[in-house]
Amino acid sequence: MNLLPQKESAPKSHVELLYQAFQRKERIFRMNVGISWGVLLLILVFLFSGQEWTLAGIPFKTIKVDSEFIRANMVFIAGGIGETIKISILSIMLAIFLALMAALGRLSRFPPFYALSTFYVSLIRGTPLYLQIFFFFLALPQLGIILPGLWAGVLALGLNYGAYMSEVFRAGISSVGKGQREAAIALGMTNGQLMRRIVLPQALRFAIPPMGNDFIAMTKDSALVAATGFVHELMWRAVKVGRAQFHNLEALIMAAIFYWVMTLFLTAIQSRIEARLSKGDR
Amino acid sequence: MSAPIIKLTNLKKYFGRLEVLKGIDLEVQPREVVCVIGRSGSGKSTMLRCINFLEEPSEGTIEIHGLVIPAGGKGKEHQQLVHEARLVTGMVFQEFNLFPHMSILENVMEAPIIVKGMDHAKAKEIAEMNLARVGMLFKKDEYPLRISGGQKQRVAIARALAMEPKVMLFDEPTSALDPELIGEVLEVMKGLAKEGTTMLVVTHEMEFAREVADRIVVMNEGELIEQGKPEDILNHPQHEQTQALLDRYRTGKK
Repeated sequence: MNLLPQKESAPKSHVELLYQAFQRKERIFRMNVGISWGVLLLILVFLFSGQEWTLAGIPFKTIKVDSEFIRANMVFIAGGIGETIKISILSIMLAIFLALMAALGRLSRFPPFYALSTFYVSLIRGTPLYLQIFFFFLALPQLGIILPGLWAGVLALGLNYGAYMSEVFRAGISSVGKGQREAAIALGMTNGQLMRRIVLPQALRFAIPPMGNDFIAMTKDSALVAATGFVHELMWRAVKVGRAQFHNLEALIMAAIFYWVMTLFLTAIQSRIEARLSKGDR
Repeated sequence: MSAPIIKLTNLKKYFGRLEVLKGIDLEVQPREVVCVIGRSGSGKSTMLRCINFLEEPSEGTIEIHGLVIPAGGKGKEHQQLVHEARLVTGMVFQEFNLFPHMSILENVMEAPIIVKGMDHAKAKEIAEMNLARVGMLFKKDEYPLRISGGQKQRVAIARALAMEPKVMLFDEPTSALDPELIGEVLEVMKGLAKEGTTMLVVTHEMEFAREVADRIVVMNEGELIEQGKPEDILNHPQHEQTQALLDRYRTGKK
Protein backbone atom coordinates (compact mmCIF):
# COMPACT_ATOMS: atom_id res chain seq x y z
CA MET A 1 0.00 0.00 0.00
CA ASN A 2 1.20 3.47 -0.87
CA LEU A 3 0.33 6.10 1.65
CA LEU A 4 1.97 8.94 -0.24
CA PRO A 5 -0.59 11.02 -2.05
CA GLN A 6 -0.64 10.38 -5.76
CA LYS A 7 -0.15 13.38 -7.96
CA GLU A 8 -3.16 12.63 -10.15
CA SER A 9 -5.52 12.03 -7.30
CA ALA A 10 -4.54 15.14 -5.34
CA PRO A 11 -7.72 17.20 -5.09
CA LYS A 12 -7.61 20.45 -6.99
CA SER A 13 -8.25 23.56 -5.00
CA HIS A 14 -11.54 25.36 -5.35
CA VAL A 15 -9.90 28.36 -6.99
CA GLU A 16 -8.15 26.12 -9.51
CA LEU A 17 -11.44 24.48 -10.43
CA LEU A 18 -13.21 27.80 -10.83
CA TYR A 19 -10.39 29.08 -13.00
CA GLN A 20 -10.49 26.00 -15.19
CA ALA A 21 -14.24 26.32 -15.62
CA PHE A 22 -13.78 29.92 -16.61
CA GLN A 23 -11.13 28.98 -19.15
CA ARG A 24 -13.30 26.23 -20.57
CA LYS A 25 -16.15 28.68 -21.03
CA GLU A 26 -13.86 31.12 -22.82
CA ARG A 27 -12.56 28.38 -25.10
CA ILE A 28 -16.05 27.23 -26.01
CA PHE A 29 -17.12 30.79 -26.72
CA ARG A 30 -14.16 31.41 -29.01
CA MET A 31 -14.69 28.09 -30.78
CA ASN A 32 -18.34 28.91 -31.44
CA VAL A 33 -17.45 32.32 -32.79
CA GLY A 34 -14.97 30.64 -35.12
CA ILE A 35 -17.59 28.17 -36.35
CA SER A 36 -20.06 30.99 -36.94
CA TRP A 37 -17.48 32.83 -38.98
CA GLY A 38 -17.03 29.74 -41.08
CA VAL A 39 -20.77 29.47 -41.65
CA LEU A 40 -21.03 33.13 -42.67
CA LEU A 41 -18.15 32.69 -45.06
CA LEU A 42 -19.79 29.62 -46.59
CA ILE A 43 -23.03 31.54 -47.07
CA LEU A 44 -21.14 34.31 -48.82
CA VAL A 45 -19.39 31.81 -51.10
CA PHE A 46 -22.70 30.10 -51.77
CA LEU A 47 -24.30 33.42 -52.79
CA PHE A 48 -21.71 33.74 -55.52
CA SER A 49 -21.64 30.11 -56.55
CA GLY A 50 -24.10 30.29 -59.48
CA GLN A 51 -26.34 27.46 -58.22
CA GLU A 52 -29.78 26.98 -59.76
CA TRP A 53 -32.61 24.96 -58.30
CA THR A 54 -36.39 24.85 -58.04
CA LEU A 55 -38.31 24.68 -54.81
CA ALA A 56 -42.09 24.18 -54.83
CA GLY A 57 -42.24 25.35 -58.41
CA ILE A 58 -40.27 28.58 -57.77
CA PRO A 59 -36.89 28.76 -59.47
CA PHE A 60 -33.96 30.01 -57.32
CA LYS A 61 -30.48 30.92 -58.40
CA THR A 62 -27.44 32.50 -56.81
CA ILE A 63 -25.07 34.93 -58.46
CA LYS A 64 -22.88 33.45 -61.14
CA VAL A 65 -19.36 34.72 -61.58
CA ASP A 66 -17.20 34.09 -64.59
CA SER A 67 -14.46 31.84 -63.29
CA GLU A 68 -12.68 32.00 -66.60
CA PHE A 69 -12.31 35.77 -66.24
CA ILE A 70 -11.12 35.41 -62.67
CA ARG A 71 -8.47 32.90 -63.61
CA ALA A 72 -7.29 35.06 -66.49
CA ASN A 73 -7.04 38.31 -64.52
CA MET A 74 -6.15 37.22 -61.01
CA VAL A 75 -2.43 37.71 -61.46
CA PHE A 76 -2.88 41.10 -63.11
CA ILE A 77 -5.00 42.45 -60.24
CA ALA A 78 -2.84 40.88 -57.53
CA GLY A 79 0.08 42.64 -59.16
CA GLY A 80 -1.29 45.85 -57.61
CA ILE A 81 -0.80 44.70 -54.04
CA GLY A 82 2.87 45.72 -54.07
CA GLU A 83 1.98 49.21 -55.25
CA THR A 84 -0.79 49.52 -52.67
CA ILE A 85 1.60 48.58 -49.88
CA LYS A 86 4.28 50.90 -51.26
CA ILE A 87 1.88 53.87 -51.27
CA SER A 88 0.67 53.02 -47.78
CA ILE A 89 4.14 52.73 -46.28
CA LEU A 90 5.45 55.90 -47.90
CA SER A 91 2.31 57.80 -46.89
CA ILE A 92 2.34 56.59 -43.30
CA MET A 93 5.97 57.62 -42.95
CA LEU A 94 5.16 61.10 -44.18
CA ALA A 95 2.07 61.16 -41.98
CA ILE A 96 4.01 60.19 -38.84
CA PHE A 97 6.55 62.92 -39.46
CA LEU A 98 3.89 65.57 -40.09
CA ALA A 99 1.78 64.37 -37.16
CA LEU A 100 4.74 64.67 -34.80
CA MET A 101 5.55 68.16 -36.03
CA ALA A 102 1.92 69.22 -35.81
CA ALA A 103 1.59 67.76 -32.31
CA LEU A 104 4.70 69.59 -31.11
CA GLY A 105 3.39 72.77 -32.73
CA ARG A 106 0.06 72.31 -31.02
CA LEU A 107 1.81 72.05 -27.65
CA SER A 108 4.17 74.92 -28.38
CA ARG A 109 3.76 78.28 -26.67
CA PHE A 110 5.38 80.03 -29.64
CA PRO A 111 2.43 81.57 -31.53
CA PRO A 112 3.62 80.99 -35.13
CA PHE A 113 4.23 77.27 -34.45
CA TYR A 114 0.92 76.89 -32.69
CA ALA A 115 -0.87 78.71 -35.49
CA LEU A 116 0.86 76.76 -38.25
CA SER A 117 -0.12 73.49 -36.61
CA THR A 118 -3.76 74.34 -36.00
CA PHE A 119 -4.05 75.95 -39.46
CA TYR A 120 -2.73 72.83 -41.17
CA VAL A 121 -4.96 70.48 -39.20
CA SER A 122 -8.03 72.63 -39.76
CA LEU A 123 -7.44 73.02 -43.49
CA ILE A 124 -6.85 69.32 -44.10
CA ARG A 125 -9.67 68.11 -41.89
CA GLY A 126 -12.00 70.61 -43.49
CA THR A 127 -11.58 69.27 -47.02
CA PRO A 128 -12.20 65.84 -48.56
CA LEU A 129 -9.31 63.46 -49.06
CA TYR A 130 -10.57 62.85 -52.60
CA LEU A 131 -10.25 66.55 -53.34
CA GLN A 132 -6.77 66.67 -51.85
CA ILE A 133 -5.57 63.84 -54.06
CA PHE A 134 -6.95 65.58 -57.14
CA PHE A 135 -5.46 68.87 -56.01
CA PHE A 136 -1.97 67.43 -56.04
CA PHE A 137 -2.52 65.56 -59.25
CA LEU A 138 -4.65 67.91 -61.34
CA ALA A 139 -4.42 71.39 -59.84
CA LEU A 140 -0.67 71.61 -59.25
CA PRO A 141 0.20 71.01 -62.94
CA GLN A 142 -1.65 74.23 -63.72
CA LEU A 143 1.03 75.95 -61.63
CA GLY A 144 3.73 74.11 -63.53
CA ILE A 145 4.29 71.52 -60.80
CA ILE A 146 3.82 68.09 -62.27
CA LEU A 147 4.00 65.25 -59.78
CA PRO A 148 3.97 61.60 -60.80
CA GLY A 149 0.71 59.95 -59.73
CA LEU A 150 2.41 57.99 -56.97
CA TRP A 151 3.88 61.09 -55.35
CA ALA A 152 0.70 63.08 -55.67
CA GLY A 153 -1.07 60.23 -53.90
CA VAL A 154 1.56 59.85 -51.21
CA LEU A 155 1.61 63.59 -50.55
CA ALA A 156 -2.15 63.80 -50.29
CA LEU A 157 -2.52 60.71 -48.11
CA GLY A 158 0.44 61.69 -45.92
CA LEU A 159 -0.82 65.22 -45.39
CA ASN A 160 -4.32 63.98 -44.71
CA TYR A 161 -3.41 61.26 -42.25
CA GLY A 162 -0.77 63.48 -40.66
CA ALA A 163 -3.47 65.96 -39.71
CA TYR A 164 -5.65 63.28 -38.14
CA MET A 165 -2.77 61.49 -36.45
CA SER A 166 -1.43 64.69 -34.90
CA GLU A 167 -4.27 64.41 -32.42
CA VAL A 168 -3.08 60.93 -31.43
CA PHE A 169 0.45 62.20 -30.92
CA ARG A 170 -0.72 65.20 -28.98
CA ALA A 171 -2.72 62.97 -26.68
CA GLY A 172 0.33 60.72 -26.32
CA ILE A 173 2.58 63.60 -25.37
CA SER A 174 -0.03 65.00 -22.97
CA SER A 175 -0.40 61.58 -21.38
CA VAL A 176 3.14 61.85 -20.05
CA GLY A 177 2.62 63.41 -16.65
CA LYS A 178 3.97 66.70 -15.40
CA GLY A 179 5.94 64.78 -12.78
CA GLN A 180 8.00 63.09 -15.49
CA ARG A 181 9.06 66.45 -16.88
CA GLU A 182 9.80 67.84 -13.45
CA ALA A 183 11.94 64.85 -12.54
CA ALA A 184 13.93 65.25 -15.75
CA ILE A 185 14.31 69.01 -15.25
CA ALA A 186 15.41 68.54 -11.64
CA LEU A 187 18.09 66.15 -12.90
CA GLY A 188 19.39 68.93 -15.12
CA MET A 189 18.00 67.85 -18.48
CA THR A 190 17.36 70.48 -21.12
CA ASN A 191 14.00 70.71 -22.88
CA GLY A 192 15.34 68.87 -25.90
CA GLN A 193 16.81 66.10 -23.78
CA LEU A 194 13.67 65.58 -21.77
CA MET A 195 11.58 65.51 -24.94
CA ARG A 196 13.85 62.99 -26.68
CA ARG A 197 14.66 60.76 -23.75
CA ILE A 198 11.61 60.93 -21.49
CA VAL A 199 8.48 62.28 -23.18
CA LEU A 200 8.59 61.01 -26.77
CA PRO A 201 9.46 57.37 -25.98
CA GLN A 202 6.46 57.20 -23.67
CA ALA A 203 4.20 59.13 -26.04
CA LEU A 204 5.14 56.79 -28.89
CA ARG A 205 4.12 53.70 -26.95
CA PHE A 206 0.82 55.33 -26.23
CA ALA A 207 0.42 56.19 -29.93
CA ILE A 208 1.40 52.86 -31.47
CA PRO A 209 -2.02 51.11 -31.30
CA PRO A 210 -3.97 53.99 -32.89
CA MET A 211 -1.16 54.39 -35.44
CA GLY A 212 -1.70 50.76 -36.40
CA ASN A 213 -5.38 51.45 -36.95
CA ASP A 214 -4.52 54.41 -39.13
CA PHE A 215 -2.11 52.38 -41.19
CA ILE A 216 -4.75 49.73 -41.82
CA ALA A 217 -7.27 52.40 -42.78
CA MET A 218 -4.70 53.92 -45.09
CA THR A 219 -4.14 50.71 -47.06
CA LYS A 220 -7.78 50.98 -48.03
CA ASP A 221 -7.90 54.74 -48.58
CA SER A 222 -4.96 54.31 -50.93
CA ALA A 223 -7.57 52.99 -53.37
CA LEU A 224 -8.60 56.61 -53.93
CA VAL A 225 -5.28 57.22 -55.63
CA ALA A 226 -6.57 55.00 -58.46
CA ALA A 227 -8.71 57.96 -59.45
CA THR A 228 -5.65 59.73 -60.78
CA GLY A 229 -5.41 56.97 -63.36
CA PHE A 230 -1.65 56.74 -63.18
CA VAL A 231 -0.94 54.60 -60.16
CA HIS A 232 -1.37 50.94 -60.96
CA GLU A 233 -2.39 49.71 -57.55
CA LEU A 234 -5.08 47.16 -56.67
CA MET A 235 -8.13 49.31 -57.26
CA TRP A 236 -6.89 50.79 -60.51
CA ARG A 237 -6.17 47.34 -61.92
CA ALA A 238 -9.54 45.95 -60.85
CA VAL A 239 -11.41 48.84 -62.43
CA LYS A 240 -9.34 48.66 -65.60
CA VAL A 241 -9.94 45.00 -66.42
CA GLY A 242 -13.49 45.08 -65.05
CA ARG A 243 -14.54 47.92 -67.31
CA ALA A 244 -12.73 46.75 -70.38
CA GLN A 245 -14.39 43.35 -70.38
CA PHE A 246 -17.60 44.30 -68.60
CA HIS A 247 -16.77 42.05 -65.69
CA ASN A 248 -16.81 44.64 -62.93
CA LEU A 249 -18.46 42.23 -60.52
CA GLU A 250 -15.66 39.68 -60.67
CA ALA A 251 -12.92 42.30 -60.74
CA LEU A 252 -14.23 44.17 -57.71
CA ILE A 253 -14.83 40.96 -55.78
CA MET A 254 -11.24 39.98 -56.37
CA ALA A 255 -9.95 43.38 -55.26
CA ALA A 256 -12.19 43.22 -52.20
CA ILE A 257 -10.76 39.83 -51.25
CA PHE A 258 -7.21 41.10 -51.61
CA TYR A 259 -7.92 44.17 -49.47
CA TRP A 260 -9.66 42.07 -46.87
CA VAL A 261 -6.86 39.53 -46.63
CA MET A 262 -4.33 42.33 -46.34
CA THR A 263 -6.35 43.90 -43.55
CA LEU A 264 -6.67 40.61 -41.69
CA PHE A 265 -2.95 40.10 -41.98
CA LEU A 266 -2.12 43.60 -40.76
CA THR A 267 -4.61 43.33 -37.89
CA ALA A 268 -2.91 40.12 -36.75
CA ILE A 269 0.48 41.84 -36.77
CA GLN A 270 -0.99 44.76 -34.88
CA SER A 271 -2.45 42.65 -32.10
CA ARG A 272 0.93 40.95 -31.69
CA ILE A 273 2.63 44.29 -31.27
CA GLU A 274 -0.02 45.43 -28.82
CA ALA A 275 0.30 42.26 -26.80
CA ARG A 276 4.03 42.81 -26.53
CA LEU A 277 3.61 46.45 -25.56
CA SER A 278 1.18 45.65 -22.79
CA LYS A 279 3.41 42.98 -21.31
CA GLY A 280 4.39 45.30 -18.51
CA ASP A 281 7.80 46.64 -19.41
CA ARG A 282 6.30 49.97 -20.12
CA MET B 1 30.62 78.32 10.54
CA SER B 2 31.41 77.77 6.90
CA ALA B 3 29.46 79.36 4.07
CA PRO B 4 25.86 78.15 3.82
CA ILE B 5 25.05 75.79 0.98
CA ILE B 6 21.59 77.29 0.56
CA LYS B 7 20.72 80.85 1.41
CA LEU B 8 17.30 82.24 0.61
CA THR B 9 16.90 85.99 0.98
CA ASN B 10 13.47 87.60 1.03
CA LEU B 11 12.10 84.87 -1.23
CA LYS B 12 8.61 85.67 -2.55
CA LYS B 13 6.35 83.76 -4.88
CA TYR B 14 3.03 84.75 -6.37
CA PHE B 15 0.62 82.45 -8.16
CA GLY B 16 -1.44 84.98 -10.03
CA ARG B 17 -2.52 87.44 -7.32
CA LEU B 18 -2.03 84.92 -4.54
CA GLU B 19 1.07 85.48 -2.45
CA VAL B 20 2.27 81.99 -1.56
CA LEU B 21 5.67 82.92 -0.14
CA LYS B 22 5.85 86.19 1.75
CA GLY B 23 9.58 86.79 1.99
CA ILE B 24 11.42 83.75 3.26
CA ASP B 25 14.93 83.96 4.73
CA LEU B 26 16.59 80.63 5.30
CA GLU B 27 20.09 79.21 5.44
CA VAL B 28 21.18 75.60 5.27
CA GLN B 29 24.73 74.75 6.31
CA PRO B 30 26.81 71.94 4.80
CA ARG B 31 26.07 68.53 6.38
CA GLU B 32 22.98 69.93 8.06
CA VAL B 33 19.59 68.17 8.00
CA VAL B 34 16.72 70.66 8.05
CA CYS B 35 13.10 69.54 8.21
CA VAL B 36 10.37 71.91 7.08
CA ILE B 37 6.97 71.38 8.65
CA GLY B 38 3.71 73.22 8.24
CA ARG B 39 0.12 72.75 7.21
CA SER B 40 -0.87 71.91 3.66
CA GLY B 41 -0.82 75.11 1.67
CA SER B 42 1.67 76.82 3.96
CA GLY B 43 4.09 77.18 1.04
CA LYS B 44 6.72 74.67 2.15
CA SER B 45 6.70 72.67 -1.10
CA THR B 46 6.70 75.87 -3.15
CA MET B 47 9.75 77.08 -1.25
CA LEU B 48 11.55 73.81 -1.96
CA ARG B 49 10.60 73.93 -5.64
CA CYS B 50 11.90 77.49 -5.94
CA ILE B 51 15.36 76.34 -4.87
CA ASN B 52 15.90 74.35 -8.08
CA PHE B 53 13.64 76.64 -10.09
CA LEU B 54 10.88 74.15 -10.77
CA GLU B 55 8.95 77.22 -9.73
CA GLU B 56 10.35 80.53 -10.87
CA PRO B 57 10.59 82.72 -7.73
CA SER B 58 8.92 86.11 -8.04
CA GLU B 59 11.24 88.15 -5.84
CA GLY B 60 14.29 87.70 -3.69
CA THR B 61 17.59 85.92 -4.13
CA ILE B 62 18.58 82.29 -4.07
CA GLU B 63 22.17 81.43 -3.26
CA ILE B 64 23.15 77.87 -3.75
CA HIS B 65 26.64 76.44 -3.43
CA GLY B 66 28.10 79.85 -4.21
CA LEU B 67 25.81 80.60 -7.15
CA VAL B 68 23.84 83.80 -6.60
CA ILE B 69 20.62 83.78 -8.58
CA PRO B 70 18.24 86.71 -8.29
CA ALA B 71 14.55 86.12 -8.98
CA GLY B 72 13.07 87.15 -12.29
CA GLY B 73 16.31 86.71 -14.23
CA LYS B 74 16.13 86.19 -17.97
CA GLY B 75 18.39 85.25 -20.82
CA LYS B 76 21.21 82.80 -21.37
CA GLU B 77 23.23 83.74 -18.30
CA HIS B 78 20.28 83.18 -15.98
CA GLN B 79 19.47 79.89 -17.68
CA GLN B 80 23.04 78.75 -17.18
CA LEU B 81 22.92 79.63 -13.47
CA VAL B 82 19.63 77.78 -13.08
CA HIS B 83 21.10 74.77 -14.86
CA GLU B 84 24.08 74.76 -12.49
CA ALA B 85 21.77 75.11 -9.50
CA ARG B 86 19.90 72.03 -10.66
CA LEU B 87 23.14 70.11 -10.99
CA VAL B 88 24.12 70.74 -7.36
CA THR B 89 20.67 69.85 -6.01
CA GLY B 90 19.05 66.44 -6.03
CA MET B 91 15.30 66.29 -5.72
CA VAL B 92 13.01 63.54 -4.48
CA PHE B 93 9.32 63.94 -5.22
CA GLN B 94 6.21 62.83 -3.40
CA GLU B 95 5.10 60.81 -6.44
CA PHE B 96 8.58 59.28 -7.16
CA ASN B 97 8.34 60.12 -10.88
CA LEU B 98 10.52 57.25 -12.02
CA PHE B 99 10.75 56.88 -15.79
CA PRO B 100 8.42 53.95 -16.53
CA HIS B 101 9.98 53.05 -19.88
CA MET B 102 13.39 52.44 -18.35
CA SER B 103 14.66 49.72 -16.05
CA ILE B 104 15.66 50.62 -12.49
CA LEU B 105 19.32 50.69 -13.50
CA GLU B 106 18.62 52.81 -16.59
CA ASN B 107 16.61 55.23 -14.47
CA VAL B 108 19.67 55.88 -12.34
CA MET B 109 22.15 55.91 -15.25
CA GLU B 110 20.14 58.24 -17.47
CA ALA B 111 21.05 61.66 -16.11
CA PRO B 112 24.78 61.03 -15.58
CA ILE B 113 25.00 59.90 -19.21
CA ILE B 114 22.69 62.46 -20.82
CA VAL B 115 23.36 65.49 -18.64
CA LYS B 116 26.96 64.97 -17.55
CA GLY B 117 28.09 63.11 -20.68
CA MET B 118 29.53 60.32 -18.56
CA ASP B 119 30.55 57.13 -20.35
CA HIS B 120 28.34 54.10 -20.02
CA ALA B 121 30.65 51.97 -17.88
CA LYS B 122 31.32 54.71 -15.34
CA ALA B 123 27.62 55.62 -15.15
CA LYS B 124 26.76 51.98 -14.54
CA GLU B 125 29.31 51.74 -11.76
CA ILE B 126 27.93 54.85 -10.05
CA ALA B 127 24.34 53.73 -10.55
CA GLU B 128 25.02 50.32 -9.02
CA MET B 129 26.84 51.86 -6.10
CA ASN B 130 23.91 54.18 -5.37
CA LEU B 131 21.33 51.44 -5.81
CA ALA B 132 23.30 49.41 -3.29
CA ARG B 133 23.24 52.40 -0.94
CA VAL B 134 19.43 52.38 -0.92
CA GLY B 135 19.26 48.57 -0.91
CA MET B 136 17.73 48.32 -4.38
CA LEU B 137 20.54 46.74 -6.39
CA PHE B 138 18.74 43.39 -6.38
CA LYS B 139 15.94 44.88 -8.52
CA LYS B 140 18.16 46.71 -10.99
CA ASP B 141 16.76 44.98 -14.07
CA GLU B 142 13.10 45.34 -13.08
CA TYR B 143 10.82 48.04 -14.41
CA PRO B 144 9.25 50.63 -12.07
CA LEU B 145 5.79 49.16 -12.62
CA ARG B 146 6.88 45.95 -10.90
CA ILE B 147 8.15 47.32 -7.60
CA SER B 148 6.39 48.71 -4.53
CA GLY B 149 5.96 52.39 -3.72
CA GLY B 150 8.62 52.29 -1.03
CA GLN B 151 11.03 50.65 -3.43
CA LYS B 152 10.23 53.23 -6.08
CA GLN B 153 11.06 56.03 -3.70
CA ARG B 154 14.35 54.39 -2.75
CA VAL B 155 15.24 54.15 -6.44
CA ALA B 156 14.24 57.80 -6.89
CA ILE B 157 16.66 58.68 -4.08
CA ALA B 158 19.42 56.68 -5.79
CA ARG B 159 18.64 58.43 -9.07
CA ALA B 160 19.11 61.83 -7.44
CA LEU B 161 22.27 60.72 -5.59
CA ALA B 162 23.85 59.46 -8.82
CA MET B 163 24.23 63.07 -9.94
CA GLU B 164 26.38 63.65 -6.83
CA PRO B 165 24.51 66.72 -5.66
CA LYS B 166 25.71 68.99 -2.86
CA VAL B 167 22.27 69.08 -1.25
CA MET B 168 19.25 66.79 -1.37
CA LEU B 169 15.75 68.26 -1.47
CA PHE B 170 12.91 66.00 -0.33
CA ASP B 171 9.34 67.06 -1.11
CA GLU B 172 7.11 65.01 1.21
CA PRO B 173 8.89 61.79 0.22
CA THR B 174 6.60 59.50 2.21
CA SER B 175 3.22 61.18 1.76
CA ALA B 176 2.16 59.02 -1.19
CA LEU B 177 3.13 55.77 0.52
CA ASP B 178 1.06 53.19 2.32
CA PRO B 179 1.87 53.32 6.05
CA GLU B 180 3.75 50.01 6.03
CA LEU B 181 6.11 51.25 3.32
CA ILE B 182 7.10 54.53 4.96
CA GLY B 183 9.68 52.97 7.28
CA GLU B 184 12.02 51.67 4.60
CA VAL B 185 12.24 55.10 2.95
CA LEU B 186 12.86 56.89 6.25
CA GLU B 187 15.58 54.34 7.06
CA VAL B 188 17.37 55.19 3.82
CA MET B 189 17.08 58.89 4.60
CA LYS B 190 18.45 58.37 8.10
CA GLY B 191 21.38 56.54 6.55
CA LEU B 192 22.07 59.49 4.26
CA ALA B 193 21.90 61.89 7.19
CA LYS B 194 24.45 59.78 9.08
CA GLU B 195 26.77 59.89 6.08
CA GLY B 196 26.71 63.68 6.34
CA THR B 197 24.46 64.41 3.37
CA THR B 198 23.05 67.92 3.42
CA MET B 199 19.27 67.58 3.36
CA LEU B 200 16.28 69.87 3.23
CA VAL B 201 13.19 67.79 3.93
CA VAL B 202 9.57 68.88 3.65
CA THR B 203 7.72 66.32 5.74
CA HIS B 204 4.79 65.42 7.93
CA GLU B 205 6.80 62.74 9.76
CA MET B 206 7.32 64.31 13.18
CA GLU B 207 9.18 61.33 14.63
CA PHE B 208 11.62 61.39 11.73
CA ALA B 209 12.14 65.11 12.23
CA ARG B 210 12.71 64.66 15.93
CA GLU B 211 15.23 61.88 15.41
CA VAL B 212 17.16 63.05 12.36
CA ALA B 213 16.84 66.81 11.94
CA ASP B 214 19.47 69.20 13.19
CA ARG B 215 16.91 71.96 12.89
CA ILE B 216 13.19 72.22 12.29
CA VAL B 217 11.67 75.09 10.37
CA VAL B 218 7.96 75.85 10.75
CA MET B 219 6.03 77.53 7.97
CA ASN B 220 2.59 79.03 8.10
CA GLU B 221 0.73 80.94 5.38
CA GLY B 222 3.84 81.65 3.34
CA GLU B 223 5.95 82.74 6.27
CA LEU B 224 8.67 81.15 8.30
CA ILE B 225 7.28 81.49 11.79
CA GLU B 226 9.71 79.57 13.91
CA GLN B 227 12.89 77.50 13.77
CA GLY B 228 15.15 75.72 16.19
CA LYS B 229 16.36 72.41 17.54
CA PRO B 230 13.84 69.57 17.21
CA GLU B 231 13.32 69.15 20.95
CA ASP B 232 12.70 72.88 21.40
CA ILE B 233 10.25 73.14 18.52
CA LEU B 234 8.41 69.91 19.22
CA ASN B 235 8.34 70.17 23.02
CA HIS B 236 8.19 73.91 23.60
CA PRO B 237 6.76 75.62 20.53
CA GLN B 238 6.77 79.39 20.90
CA HIS B 239 4.33 80.27 18.17
CA GLU B 240 0.65 79.49 18.63
CA GLN B 241 0.37 78.20 15.05
CA THR B 242 3.17 75.71 15.72
CA GLN B 243 1.28 74.57 18.79
CA ALA B 244 -1.87 74.19 16.72
CA LEU B 245 0.03 72.24 14.06
CA LEU B 246 1.52 69.84 16.59
CA ASP B 247 -1.88 69.36 18.21
CA ARG B 248 -3.29 68.35 14.84
CA TYR B 249 -0.58 65.74 14.41
CA ARG B 250 -1.20 64.40 17.91
CA THR B 251 -4.86 63.91 17.11
CA GLY B 252 -3.89 62.19 13.87
CA LYS B 253 -4.90 64.88 11.42
CA LYS B 254 -2.70 66.61 8.90
